[in-house]
Amino acid sequence: MLEFLARRLFYLVPVLLAVSLLTFLTASLLPGDLAYVILGDQATPENVEALRRDLGLDQPIWWRYLGWLGHVLEGDLGRSFRTGQTVLQAVVERFPVSFELMLLAQIIALVIGVPLGIICAARSGGPFDRFMTSTAFGMLSVPTFLSAILLIYLFAVRLRWLPATGYAPLTENPLANLRFFILPALTLGLAGWPGIMRVLRSDMIATLQEDFITLAKAKGLKPFRILFLHALKPSSLTLVTITGINIGHLMGGAVVVEQIFALPGIGRLLLGAINTRDLIVLQGVVLCVACGYVLINFIVDTVYAVLDPRIRHGHA
Amino acid sequence: MATLELSIRDEVVAGPVHKTRRLGMLFWIAVGWMILVFALAILAPALPLPRPTDMDMLVRRAPPSASHWLGTDGLGRDELARLIYGARISLVVGLCAPVIGVTVGGALGMLAGYFRGRFDALAVGGMDVLLAFPPLIFALAVTAFLGQSVFNLTCILGVLSIPAFMRVARASTLTLARREFVIAAQALGATHARILLRELLPNVTLPLLAFFLLGVAVVIVVEGALSFLGLGVPPPISSWGSMIGEGRESLEIAPWLAFIPAAAMFLTVLSFNIVGDSLRALSDPRQGAL
Amino acid sequence: MKKRTCFDAITRTAFAAGVSLLVATGTAGAQKRGGSITVGQELDIPGFDPLKVGVYDTSAQSAAALIFDTLTYRDDNGEPQPKLALSWTHSDDYKTWTFKLRPGVTFQDGTPFNAQAVKDSFDRWKDPANKCRCAFYISGIHDVQAPEELTLVYNLTDPSVTLPATLSFPSPANVVHSPTAWKNKGNDYNRNPVGTGPYILKSWTAGDRMVLEKNPDYWNKGHPYLDRIILKPLPDTQSRFASVQSGEADIIWDDEFDADNILKAQKDPALTVHTYSGSGAQVFAFNTKVAPFDDVRVRQALVMALDRKKMSQALTNGLSRPATNPYGDGSWVKCKDDGALPYDVEKAKALLKDYGKPVDFKMIVTATPRGRAGGQVLQQFWKQIGANMEIEQVDQTAIPPRAFMRQFQLTPWRIVDFPDPSPQMYANFHTGSPVALANYSDPELDRLLEHARSTAELDKRIEDYCAISRLINKEAIWFWTFQNTYYAISTSKLKGLPKLFGGVIDVSNVWLE
Repeated sequence: MLEFLARRLFYLVPVLLAVSLLTFLTASLLPGDLAYVILGDQATPENVEALRRDLGLDQPIWWRYLGWLGHVLEGDLGRSFRTGQTVLQAVVERFPVSFELMLLAQIIALVIGVPLGIICAARSGGPFDRFMTSTAFGMLSVPTFLSAILLIYLFAVRLRWLPATGYAPLTENPLANLRFFILPALTLGLAGWPGIMRVLRSDMIATLQEDFITLAKAKGLKPFRILFLHALKPSSLTLVTITGINIGHLMGGAVVVEQIFALPGIGRLLLGAINTRDLIVLQGVVLCVACGYVLINFIVDTVYAVLDPRIRHGHA
Repeated sequence: MATLELSIRDEVVAGPVHKTRRLGMLFWIAVGWMILVFALAILAPALPLPRPTDMDMLVRRAPPSASHWLGTDGLGRDELARLIYGARISLVVGLCAPVIGVTVGGALGMLAGYFRGRFDALAVGGMDVLLAFPPLIFALAVTAFLGQSVFNLTCILGVLSIPAFMRVARASTLTLARREFVIAAQALGATHARILLRELLPNVTLPLLAFFLLGVAVVIVVEGALSFLGLGVPPPISSWGSMIGEGRESLEIAPWLAFIPAAAMFLTVLSFNIVGDSLRALSDPRQGAL
Repeated sequence: MKKRTCFDAITRTAFAAGVSLLVATGTAGAQKRGGSITVGQELDIPGFDPLKVGVYDTSAQSAAALIFDTLTYRDDNGEPQPKLALSWTHSDDYKTWTFKLRPGVTFQDGTPFNAQAVKDSFDRWKDPANKCRCAFYISGIHDVQAPEELTLVYNLTDPSVTLPATLSFPSPANVVHSPTAWKNKGNDYNRNPVGTGPYILKSWTAGDRMVLEKNPDYWNKGHPYLDRIILKPLPDTQSRFASVQSGEADIIWDDEFDADNILKAQKDPALTVHTYSGSGAQVFAFNTKVAPFDDVRVRQALVMALDRKKMSQALTNGLSRPATNPYGDGSWVKCKDDGALPYDVEKAKALLKDYGKPVDFKMIVTATPRGRAGGQVLQQFWKQIGANMEIEQVDQTAIPPRAFMRQFQLTPWRIVDFPDPSPQMYANFHTGSPVALANYSDPELDRLLEHARSTAELDKRIEDYCAISRLINKEAIWFWTFQNTYYAISTSKLKGLPKLFGGVIDVSNVWLE
C-alpha cells in the first residue's frame, strides 16, 4: 500500500512542475505587452521601455520562469496591477464562493441522481427507466448557460421568487446567502445529475447480476435492504470517481455560471483577469486551479485504490 | 492512471440493455433534424431571406410579419436569417474543431496504445497536464489575446479536444493490440505502420466516429457559451450563442429572442448526441472487466 | 363690528390651524435619520490612490463622494458653494486662486485638516519621482501653497475662470486625502482610503461589496442621515435593474442603453427615475495620421452617413439625444451655427467615390453588449455607403492605453459633463496634448483654444467655442453621436439626491422616507 502511494507521489511532482511550466509559457507567450497594459494612460514609448526593464521582461524566458517559480514556492504569486491585491489574497477571498457553489451543486446532483440511478437500476428496462434515461440524455444536451437563462426567466423574471443575481456572504447572512445560491447551484446540479444517474445505474445493473445478490434474494431479504446495503457500495466506485472529477473541474470556478449570476468566485476572477489583460493574476490563479485539479485527481485515485484492491496491485 | 481507465469503463457501459432497438425512431428523427440543419446552412445564401446583418432600425423586436417570418431582433435584423446563418457558424466550428482533435488526438492515442512504454507514459502524462487546465479559460485567453475570429476559435477548440480523442483512441488500441489478429500480423513480420493502418485503424474508426459526433455536440455548446459571453465569434456574425446572449437583454419584453435560438441549439446538440451515442452502443465490443 | 371680529377670529384660528397642520406635515417630510441603503454600481472599484489609479470612473466617484470631501460642491444651479473651503478669491488674471478653509475639520483617522494637509497630498501627486498616473489630469495646476494654517493657494499654469466649480468634481486629486494615511500605509492606501467625508470605509471585499458607515465626527453637524451605505458592483444590466425592483438595491446607476427598464421604471410608482441632461457627448476620434482617415473626404463621408435619430431609436428606443457639437444642451455654450455636417447618404457615397480607394478599417468598441450593439449599428450605416468597418472588442480598461499610444484607427471616447468645456476641449484638441487623439494639428484651432481658456468674458468664450466647433465639424476629426444624459433609478423612498453632475451619484446627503 505504502509503496503504491510512494509511486503515485513520485509521479505527482513532475506533473505539477509541468503544469507550472505550461502556465508560465502560455501567459508569457500571449501577445500584448504587460508593461503597456500596466501603464494604461501613462503609456509612452519611453515609459513602456523603462517598465519592461523594471519588471525584468527583457530577460530570457527560462530565467523568468525560474524566478517566478522561486517566488511561487515562497508563497508569492504576484500582485494585480489593477487592485494592488496579492494574487493569493484574491484567491483566498474568492475561493469560498466557488467552493460553496461547487458543494451545493454536487449535493443537488447527488440528491437527484443517486435515488434515480438506484430506482432505474432496480426497474431496468421498465417504462420509468426508459423515461428517466431519455430525460437524462436530453438534460445532457442542454448547455449550462441555457438552463441558467431558463431558470432565471422562470424564477426571477416571471415568478419573482428568487433573485436573478447577487451574493451575500455566508458569515453575514446565511439565509440570504442560500437564496442567492439556489439558482446557480441548481443550474450546475441539473447539469451534473444525468452523469451520476447513468453511471450509478450501469454499475448497479452489473452488480445486481452478480451471484451474491442472487444469494441475498434467495435468502429472502427485502429488496430495499438488498439495494442499499448490499448493492450500493460496490457500485459506487465509479460514482466516487465521477464526483471527484466533477469537484476538480468545478474548482476552476464555473466561469459561465459565475458570470451570469454575478457570483464573486474564482471563475469571475479569471474572466476579469483575461479582460483586463492582468497576466500576473491570470498566471497565478490558473496555476492554483490546475494544481488543485491535479491534487484532487491524485486523492480520488488514492481513494479508489483503497476501495478497489485490484487497482492497487496492478491488475487493472 | 486509474482515472483514464475509469472513464473508459464509463463510456463502455453505456445505453440501456436493449441494444438492438437503439436505431429506432429517435435515431432517425435525429438524423432527419441534422440533415435539415445541414441543408439550411449550406443553402443559406440561396434562400429568399433578408441579409442577417441588415438592420431595419425602426422595427426592432417586431413580431412575425410578411417581410420578417420570425420577426426581428433587438437591432431590427431578421431573426430567421440570423438563425440560419447562425447554424452555419455552429456547424462550421462544430465540425472543423473535432476534426483537428480526431486526427491529432487519434494518431497520438493509437501510437501511445500500440507502442506503450515510455512514449505511452509521456503521452498520458502530457494529456493529464493539459486536462488540468480549465478549458474555457484557455479558449477565452486565446481569443482575447489573439483576436476574435472564427478561425482562431476553431483552432483553439480543436486543440482542446485533442486529449479526449487521444484517450478514446488509446483505450481502443490498448485492448485491440493484444488480440490475436495483431499478434498474428506481428509474427508474420508486418511493419508497425502496416499493423497500425491496416489492422488497428479500421477497428478504431467506429468508436472514434461515435466520439467525433459527441465531440461536435460539445464544441457547439462551448462555442455557444463563448459567443454568449460575447467572446466567441466576432460581431456582427450571428451564432446561436451570441443570439441567446443578445436575447438575454430583452428577456422580459421579448423572451422568444433568446428561446428560439436556444431551441435550435438544443435540438441540434441533442441530435448529435443521439446519433453519436447510438453509434457508440453499436461499436462497443462486449469487453470483460478491464 | 363685533360680527366681523368674530368672523376674523374664526378665520385666524382656522388659518393658524391650517398653518400648524402644514408645519406638521412639513416636518413629517423632513429628513429621517437612520437606516442603510445599497447602491448598485456598474463597475467594481480598483482603488483610490491617485498614484495607482490615475482617474476615478463613475463608480469610484460615487464612493469618493462619500469617503472624501472636496473644497466645494455645486448647488442646483450649478454654482459652487462652500464645502471644505469657506470662501475664495482670485487674481485678476485668474491664474491664482486663494481659498479660506473651514476650521475644526478632522480626517477620519484623527489627523487635523488644514492647508498643509492638502499641500502635502498635492506635492505627492505632482512629484515626478512618484510617476503618478494622475499627472496629466493635474497638469493645469502648477503648484499648491499653504501660507497659513487655513489658507490654500492654487497657482495655475493657465487661467481658469471656473476653478471653484471644477474643484467640486470628485476626481482623485480634487478629493482631500489624509496625509497620515498615505504616508503610513503606502501600497495599502489604495484599498484603505481615508478622507474627511461623511462615511468611513468599514470593509471592502473585491468584486462583492464596499461597506461604509456613518462618520460620527463629521464636521457638518446633523449629517449624514443614513447609518450605513453599501456599494455593490453589479455589471449585468438586467440583474442590476432587477435588484432595484426587488428592493435589494435602493438606488442604481443606469444609462440610456437600458431604455426598456428606464421606461418601465418611469411608469412604476414605487421607483423614481433621476435624470440629468449634462453637457458633453459620446464621441469618436479618427486617427488622422493613419489611412484611410488621413483624407478628409473619408472622414466627412462617414459622418454624413449617420442618421442619429434612427441610431437613437435602434439603440435606446429614442431616449438618446443626438449631438451635433461637443457641448450639448446642458452647456452654457450655445451656438447658432455649430458647423454640423448634415445627414446625406448620397453626398457621402459621392465623397467616397471621389476618394477612389476601398475604405476598410477597424473600430474599437468596449467588450460589452452596449459596445457591440453601438458598433454594429455604425457598421451598418457605413456599409450602406460602401465602407467596411471591422469591430475590435477590447475591455474598457484597455482603451486608454490604446488611445494614448494612438494605436487605433477609430476609437470611442467621451467628453463628460463638466462646468467648463475648457479643460477637455484643450486636452482633446490642442497640438501636443497626450489626449489629442486625432493627431491633428491646426494653428487656428490652437489659437482659439488658447484664447477661450484665458478670457474671462463669457460671450467672447462662447464665440470661440462655436468657432472651434465649426472647425472640428468641418474637418470631421472627431464626431459626436449623442449628448450625455445621466440616469439613476431609485426607490421612491429615497430623497435628497442632488443633480447628477458629471454623472456622479452622490448619496452623501440622502435619506429614506
